Amino acid sequence: MKKVYPIEERCIGCHLCEVACIVEHSKVKNPVSAYFTEGLTFNHEVSSYTPEPNQALSDNRPKPLNRCIVEENGALCLSTNCRHCEEASCILACKNGSLYKDEEGRVLLNEKKCVGCWMCLMACEYGSINRNVYIKNVSLIENNAIQHHCDLCPEREEPACVMVCPTKALAFDNRK
Amino acid sequence: MTQKFYKEPGVKDSLQIRRQRQGDYFHSHPEYKVERDNNKCIRCLVCVRECPYDCTYFDTDRNVIYNIDANCVNCKRCEVMCPTQCIEIRDWGNKFRDNAYWDFKHWGSIYKQADTGAVVLTGLGNDEDYKSYFDRMVLDASQVTNPSIDPLREPMELRTYIGRKPETLTSEDIRNSKKIKTLFPNISTEVPVIFAPMSFGAISFNFQKGLATAAKKMGTFFNTGEGGLHPDLLEFKDHAIVQVASGRFGVSSKYLKNSAACEIKIGQGAKPGIGGHLPGEKVTYDISQTRMIPEGSDAISPAPQHDIYSIEDLRLLIYAIKEAVEYQKPVSVKIAAVHNVSAIASGIVRAGADIVVLDGFRGGTGAAPRIIRDHVGIPIEVALAQVDERLRKEGIRNQASIIAAGGIRGADDIVKAIALGADAVYAGTSAMLAVGCTLCQQCHRGKCAWGITTNQADLRKRLPVDIAAERCTNLLMAWAREIKEMLGLMGLNSIESLRGNRLKLRGVDLSEIELKTLGIAQAGI
Repeated sequence: MKKVYPIEERCIGCHLCEVACIVEHSKVKNPVSAYFTEGLTFNHEVSSYTPEPNQALSDNRPKPLNRCIVEENGALCLSTNCRHCEEASCILACKNGSLYKDEEGRVLLNEKKCVGCWMCLMACEYGSINRNVYIKNVSLIENNAIQHHCDLCPEREEPACVMVCPTKALAFDNRK
Repeated sequence: MTQKFYKEPGVKDSLQIRRQRQGDYFHSHPEYKVERDNNKCIRCLVCVRECPYDCTYFDTDRNVIYNIDANCVNCKRCEVMCPTQCIEIRDWGNKFRDNAYWDFKHWGSIYKQADTGAVVLTGLGNDEDYKSYFDRMVLDASQVTNPSIDPLREPMELRTYIGRKPETLTSEDIRNSKKIKTLFPNISTEVPVIFAPMSFGAISFNFQKGLATAAKKMGTFFNTGEGGLHPDLLEFKDHAIVQVASGRFGVSSKYLKNSAACEIKIGQGAKPGIGGHLPGEKVTYDISQTRMIPEGSDAISPAPQHDIYSIEDLRLLIYAIKEAVEYQKPVSVKIAAVHNVSAIASGIVRAGADIVVLDGFRGGTGAAPRIIRDHVGIPIEVALAQVDERLRKEGIRNQASIIAAGGIRGADDIVKAIALGADAVYAGTSAMLAVGCTLCQQCHRGKCAWGITTNQADLRKRLPVDIAAERCTNLLMAWAREIKEMLGLMGLNSIESLRGNRLKLRGVDLSEIELKTLGIAQAGI
């Protein structure tokens, strides 16, 4: 199965993969809307969004978060994301079966089922599962959020992060 | 690393931040203004991370990215990398009252000199508004009386042999024309473009390796500059022209032998008559190994070669190198184009050089005083025309090839230079442009935002070897195609037929003396 592999020597730590990831997983696929107005509703009575877009970054709205994370230490940096392990410990750890493997072998999440227990986050050896605190499935439980990891951009032939990388530091290939 | 991007704790005032970042330069007037569309800025901080000149910082309290415009050099890295294209770098219009005499270059330099007491350094090549003769020469084309050639259907010869040619061909067995006796070592290139001397230290290792790879792929050469040949580039030794400059960095008999040709650098077009200085902090382990100097020590190239004070001394060095390479490789001598260049070139050829490289005043540099870069030297077009004419008149043109360097911008300049008498050209700035250079003239600071003229670990990663190689190869391929097209329309099927063929050139908007110096006729005649 094709996965996204980081190439450490080429990564310049620009974090554009994170931007591309957020844009790809937004509704409008436009960076400005993805960051500012995703999850906001346009109020036609006052002809503006509620709340205002320039305050929206800190708001608790269901906005997309980046699924790849650039780890950096000085000149050393690389973009980390889900390894889609063959024997995925996150699937074994998931208690209500919201994580599953599809026929191609990628580890995916049924977002409606996830209750945000974060057991997958504890089980992942690579630390590539993050929580998106802005999306809540169980509204009664405080600080509940669903887990969040790379889904290899199902709508694209090549994931957005690979396409956008200026130094080709992400490879999308079939290696073992 | 992330710490530097954010506002320093305890600093409240943006003026304080500015002063902290700029040190003592109170008078550094901004040249450019970074306009940021805050409605489009998504605070992804790509611009903050990419700016090596500390021009951009993020204020976490206000959630706004600010710019210190005085630090901006218009390298355009943030503009290009911004995912929403919300940044626009503009010329800072608000300078002084309009003054045709006191331009920014002069008063700006005075402020800098008053601040530091130092020579104002800069990079790249002469950017003053001198007349460009390349732009005032036009080429001929075949019409009814002679047919033009379609390079897509008929063979076109771009292969060029560079080096000394024999007076006559003599062979032991004339009838069977076998075993030609008097042949001198030549280097052959498939494209009449060679990558100009740029040393490892001035440019990043990745870029030099990219040039070497492209040269190997296209059957041409790259030049190591004066910085020695890195051990990792030994696989490209058949495509390397190795340079022996006044600092003699990295020179050994092994270095001379691991090459296609050897070059003695007397002068550089951007800074004729002065040496070079690579500051100690830039001499990293790799550079120190390649240059064969201690790590962290200043790499100083003296202004003259201390063993060359005459043509006779030059002859000694040329033959010393020829002995070292057992007369197997051509030896080239590179001089800056200066006044009376034809007599100097004639002396060089008589001293035994197989190749004469003429470097015009538009040639680039890693670092040079601005006044010298902008005001010393002569245009390559006139130097080339004069040298070719002089060598022809003296009957020694066959003894050396001429390579024109300094401000070759494209296939048009190459064709015109070859028609003026060059065998091949050096292209340096064009190769840098091919890998992303934006001509911001900050090469001397070693913090190139595009990873070209830097060896800082995080910055040089911005230009991977294979991307550099691919882009430089593409450039050469495109130029080769364009040269073939231009040869075809002139009815020539070989670059040899164009060399020194000034009948193909006509001058537009040039005075009589200029036409005479260039050796070309007025357009229309």
